[in-house]
Amino acid sequence: MIIASHTAGAVYDINIFGLSVTFLLVALAAILTVVMRLGMAKSMIWSTLRSLLQLLAMGYIIKYVIEANNPWIVLALMVFMVIAAVQITLTRADGIPRGLVMPVLLTLMVSVLIVDSVVSELIIAPSPWYAPQILIPVTGMMLGNLVAAIAVAMSRFFSDMKAREYEVEVYLSMGATPFEAAKPSIIASAKLGLIPTIAQLASSGIVLIPGMMAGQIMAGGDPLEAAKYQFVVLAALSSITIIGDTLIMILIYRRCFTELDQFEPHTV
Amino acid sequence: MSYFSAHALSCVFKQDSSQQNGKTLFSNLSLHLERGEIVDLTGPSGSGKSHVLMALALLDPHASAKLTLEGRDSSSFTPESWRRNVVYLPQRPVLTSDTVLDAVLLPFGFSINRNAKGLRPQTAKPVAKQIRNGLDELGLDDVELVRNPAMLSVGQQARVCLLRSLMLQPKVLLSDEVDAGLDPDSSDKVGAMLQNAATHMGMAVLRVRHRNSDGRASRILSLAHGRLSRQEME
Repeated sequence: MIIASHTAGAVYDINIFGLSVTFLLVALAAILTVVMRLGMAKSMIWSTLRSLLQLLAMGYIIKYVIEANNPWIVLALMVFMVIAAVQITLTRADGIPRGLVMPVLLTLMVSVLIVDSVVSELIIAPSPWYAPQILIPVTGMMLGNLVAAIAVAMSRFFSDMKAREYEVEVYLSMGATPFEAAKPSIIASAKLGLIPTIAQLASSGIVLIPGMMAGQIMAGGDPLEAAKYQFVVLAALSSITIIGDTLIMILIYRRCFTELDQFEPHTV
Repeated sequence: MSYFSAHALSCVFKQDSSQQNGKTLFSNLSLHLERGEIVDLTGPSGSGKSHVLMALALLDPHASAKLTLEGRDSSSFTPESWRRNVVYLPQRPVLTSDTVLDAVLLPFGFSINRNAKGLRPQTAKPVAKQIRNGLDELGLDDVELVRNPAMLSVGQQARVCLLRSLMLQPKVLLSDEVDAGLDPDSSDKVGAMLQNAATHMGMAVLRVRHRNSDGRASRILSLAHGRLSRQEME
């Protein structure tokens, strides 16, 4: 048994004991936050429980979808993921005006289409084409990244436009179009959304073993295969984050202007 | 027919869209400007002078008006080409570029100034020499073109902003207290430059002023309690 555990390709299951130890660790951290009066114990335990339930649910769902092996079920799950991502993006972005469901939905849909056509179908090219064990994780990773990037970019854009109120007015007063007047905010916001993605790309492999590669190795996969997969996914994620970030900015910047191209900052 | 006219000029602040009656700052005002004319607008703080100017430049989302320039209705312009011809110069100077030169050249990078959609043939991008002369004329001879505008005093910044707006050679300039923080000598230089633009380019200038009349305006209008009245000239 001991020898077997050293062989490559061995899979170590996490049992109830393992999960309990994890919770013990979280409880310890929670106690620490109580002692230090950080006021985060409740939300920490709650988020931990929530993440366990969500991840387990996702695990069961993917398992079911893989076993069902039906393209319609795969597509339905992807649609559901996109809709949930829209909702998460909108709640996560502070200080944004109402009515941004359509631009966010469109951005996420376009991004999913691009990533899944390129990464899933062109690069990995599974058989059958709808192989859920490829499509679902790729979509999930991409949405996770994009939700964070878009939420940050949107909050920043609206607060930056408000802060640049006088500047925007001056630009418009000299004949600038709304896009020209909003451009500095668009650039600053899109950049801010990209920082974590770019940082991850540059630092991965040196200190950080990205989650996907780590998971594949821990689950007994070939580390070199895992590295290739991880590179494709990271590079694709960065590109799609830039595309999604740019798209959402183009779709929302006009919200700060009236039909007559007058500046109307959103006070939320 | 006036060179520039405004009728039914109103500004109403609605708290939210469901509310029918918001706070009315002014309503149904009329004013006109002739070619090459300087008109002053005075009135107590908060009477809405800046809103009048912004409304005339189609910049105020709370305002509505029927505007014409050289007999053409503002609706026949794009908002950008209207603002390119009727330039509003805000009271608060905003210079975001790294140098004075870039700050003055900023609007010449806008698409409206790259393809001539405005009324007159497009205004040529000024060369450094012209900007230098303009600064000297405004008493800014100690301000180098490569200076960071953030390092200038507010009064200096205001004059750089004025020069920038004048370089665009608008048909109408709406100047909002550009000489508010200036010493009498600098204020006179600002007045002289506007006078020059009015006389030689036919620019119509509407100035919001708090200072005593400098004798350059042909009329002085006073805005108070939502009413616009013509003030007797001393």
